[in-house]
Amino acid sequence: METETEAAAAESGFRSVSSKRSRRKRRAGGGEEAAAAAMDTDAAGPRPGKRPSFPPVAAEALRVGNEEIRKVPVPANRYTPLKENWMKIFTPIVEHLQLQIRFNLKTRNVEIKTCQETKDISALTKAADFVKAFILGFQVEDALALIRLDDLFLESFEVTDVKPLKGDHLSRAIGRIAGKGGKTKFTIENVTRTRIVLADAKIHILGSFQNIKMARTAICNLILGSPPSKVYGNIRAVASRAAERF
Amino acid sequence: MAAVGGLERCLRVAGAAAARPERFLSVQDGLAADFKALTKILYDLSKARGSNVVRGSPLKELVIESFDEEQIWQQLELQNNAVLDFFKKSIVRDANDEDLCLLSDPEDDSSNAEASSDKELEEDIMETETEQKNVYTKDKTKAKEKQSKPRESKMQKYSDDDSDVDFDIEELEQQTEIAKKTTSKKLQKKSIVDDKFFKLAEMEAFLEDVEKEDRGEEEEGINYFEDILSDDEEEESEDSKVKPIKSSRDLTYKDFFDPVDDNDELVANTVEDGQEEETDSVTEEENEESMSEADEITEIMTENMRSKEASKKVTFSLPDDSEIEDSIDMQSEKSIDPIEIKSSFEKRQEKMNAKIRSLEEELLEEKPWQLKGEVSGQKRPENSLLEETLLFDHAVRMAPVITEETTLQLEDIIKQRILDQAWDDVVPKEKPKEEAFEYKKRITLDHEKSKLSLAEIYEQEYLKLHQQKTEEEENPEHKEIQEMMDSLFLKLDALCNFHFTPKPPVPEVKIVSNLPAVSMEEVAPVAVSDAALLAPEEIKEKNKAGDVKADAEKTPTDKKRERRKKKLRKRMKLREKERRQKLLEKMKPEQGTKLSKKAAAAKLKKLTKEGKASLLKDEGKDKVLKSSQAFFSQLQDQVKMQIKDANKLKKKQKKQREVSVHKLKL
Repeated sequence: METETEAAAAESGFRSVSSKRSRRKRRAGGGEEAAAAAMDTDAAGPRPGKRPSFPPVAAEALRVGNEEIRKVPVPANRYTPLKENWMKIFTPIVEHLQLQIRFNLKTRNVEIKTCQETKDISALTKAADFVKAFILGFQVEDALALIRLDDLFLESFEVTDVKPLKGDHLSRAIGRIAGKGGKTKFTIENVTRTRIVLADAKIHILGSFQNIKMARTAICNLILGSPPSKVYGNIRAVASRAAERF
Repeated sequence: MAAVGGLERCLRVAGAAAARPERFLSVQDGLAADFKALTKILYDLSKARGSNVVRGSPLKELVIESFDEEQIWQQLELQNNAVLDFFKKSIVRDANDEDLCLLSDPEDDSSNAEASSDKELEEDIMETETEQKNVYTKDKTKAKEKQSKPRESKMQKYSDDDSDVDFDIEELEQQTEIAKKTTSKKLQKKSIVDDKFFKLAEMEAFLEDVEKEDRGEEEEGINYFEDILSDDEEEESEDSKVKPIKSSRDLTYKDFFDPVDDNDELVANTVEDGQEEETDSVTEEENEESMSEADEITEIMTENMRSKEASKKVTFSLPDDSEIEDSIDMQSEKSIDPIEIKSSFEKRQEKMNAKIRSLEEELLEEKPWQLKGEVSGQKRPENSLLEETLLFDHAVRMAPVITEETTLQLEDIIKQRILDQAWDDVVPKEKPKEEAFEYKKRITLDHEKSKLSLAEIYEQEYLKLHQQKTEEEENPEHKEIQEMMDSLFLKLDALCNFHFTPKPPVPEVKIVSNLPAVSMEEVAPVAVSDAALLAPEEIKEKNKAGDVKADAEKTPTDKKRERRKKKLRKRMKLREKERRQKLLEKMKPEQGTKLSKKAAAAKLKKLTKEGKASLLKDEGKDKVLKSSQAFFSQLQDQVKMQIKDANKLKKKQKKQREVSVHKLKL
């Protein structure tokens, strides 16, 4: 086969370049007898059909750079609640996640930092999410679920995203979402097992993916104008179907 | 010497006073003063003489000046009490002493029938006076002698009266004396029937003796009770009583009866005289039944037994006692000719007649209030019902009497219940689930803020999910046992409860999931089928109205039905609204009036008055206004009219101006 190709090439004026593989094979075929050991030595280098083997990397090596910092800004209205609940925030982060946390008074940021003792890389993200959730307006115990469970998410959107409302209509929409004494909001929270924060025109939802979806649908229906009773019926039906599935 | 003089004077005064006893019918102040002086003299005398045997009171002399009788008496008492005890003891000692002879004593006890009242009085006076004088042992003997003399005289008197019986009685008395004095008594013969209580020979002797007396004259009806009492007083005053007074609790057999073997114990206790009378009156019960002349004997026996004291014996109290006493009384009252002896039949007849008479009298008398039927409070004595035991029915169940016992019992029960943790808690009522619909898990909406945080909710879910595996499986045997017990208890409850309500049947719940039937039912299907286990209706509930119809498909009845339904719904809503409105008005007046129709009308009126709003008048153009074309054309007409008017106005104004120019005369 090689001779044919070479011959063909020579005839047409092209120079046939043999592939590296074939060259290696020829070379290998030539030095077969003597290169039994040589094959072994060659195997150390990258060879076709053999994967390289790496030992598992130590945790320290994975960390890029010595320390990572996350900063969470604190608006003025959340300053006092942060002060009041500082112990409750501080304790799980430091003890369970083994991170370092401080509140920078000048820049008004909560700074979280990894240190020598940190074992889990994802801890930093969780802690940052936890603090962010608290800053958004959730209770500490509810935000704590973010640390304990992996699959909880935080979703935020605005009322005007759903439907462009202005003035009184906007207020009325917000009122519909909240209900009398927060009744409607609590109902949605209880049925869908989420937590909702209603901050003027912004809505934040904390929960698992499916639940967030249910709650979001309900809130959007309320914004769009359906009465609460209808919304209750819908979410109840959806929730029972979801529960039955499991 | 002074002492003797004083004593003589005392005697003189006392004798003078006693010689004319009729003076004492009225109060004698002078004599009283004299007597007081006397007592003082005697007291001082006795104190002055002193005694080495016994000490009296610490008072050296009796003080009389301006002292009350009570006070003088207390002074005397002080002296006497101190000394009396000593003398009692010494008397007992001497009485027990066999060397001293007290021959007259037992006879004295028995012969109390003959004591004359005068003599008693005299003796009493003397005793009280001599008491103060004689508080020494030698005086005691003197007193005794004094006593023995009257007794002897008594005895003599007695013996004088009953001459023919005397001998026997004396003999009997002597016999009894001897019996008492010596331990060996047996002068009488022994018979076979003799035992501890009964001696035949004694009985016969007694009966003979009674018979003889019966033949003899009976004494004047003297009241024997009095004598005995006076006797007792004598005894007491002589300080011969040594026996300590026992309370009723400490009395034993030997206080009432002699020892059964007729052992001699000195009859120092004469307190039981009264008792002995009664016993003696019954003594001859046993004899009476055996004797034919029992009645005679008993009546005389009872009278005489009191007079002579036999040894105390065991006696039997039989119910015939009262009869006999009655009969005796009758007999004694009826002063019969004692010489004539009645036959037993006659006697019996008499008794019967007496009884009949008494019964008749009783019947004719007025009945006691207890037997008089309905008795009001005025007709019976005060508080008489308290003494009666009444029986009456209670209409209502009586309230339990709370005593300490019941409280303690109750507390014990409570404590036990607490320990057992067996509370009587109220069991919450459960609404019975009747439809399968209710078994579907329906999520209840909770409108309140959740008490658990999100983390806790997810935690619970997770635990629930993972703990299903660790659920302990019920032991099938336990299940069986439980079922059997339930059925048994159900049957028992049905038997024993009056108000038994059976439990509603527990529906069996089976959860069926909507999987293809094949996988559930058959392992090796006969024919392959992919039909689901649940019917379509079970997956999604059907509308009650049936299939949904489009407007074109609806029949007139359907349409009418729908219309009716719509109207009904509207009516209900309106009613609800009105009701809520009324309630609101009642509760919160300001809020209520805001929305009511009346309020709206009032507001409208106000506004129209002010001129801020104008009412559209109905000019019959409504029909026209129904279609939009008509409306717009009308609108156009209106606008045209307005313009016309405006133009007219303008023209008018212009005209006016023209006139003015004309007037200018240019």
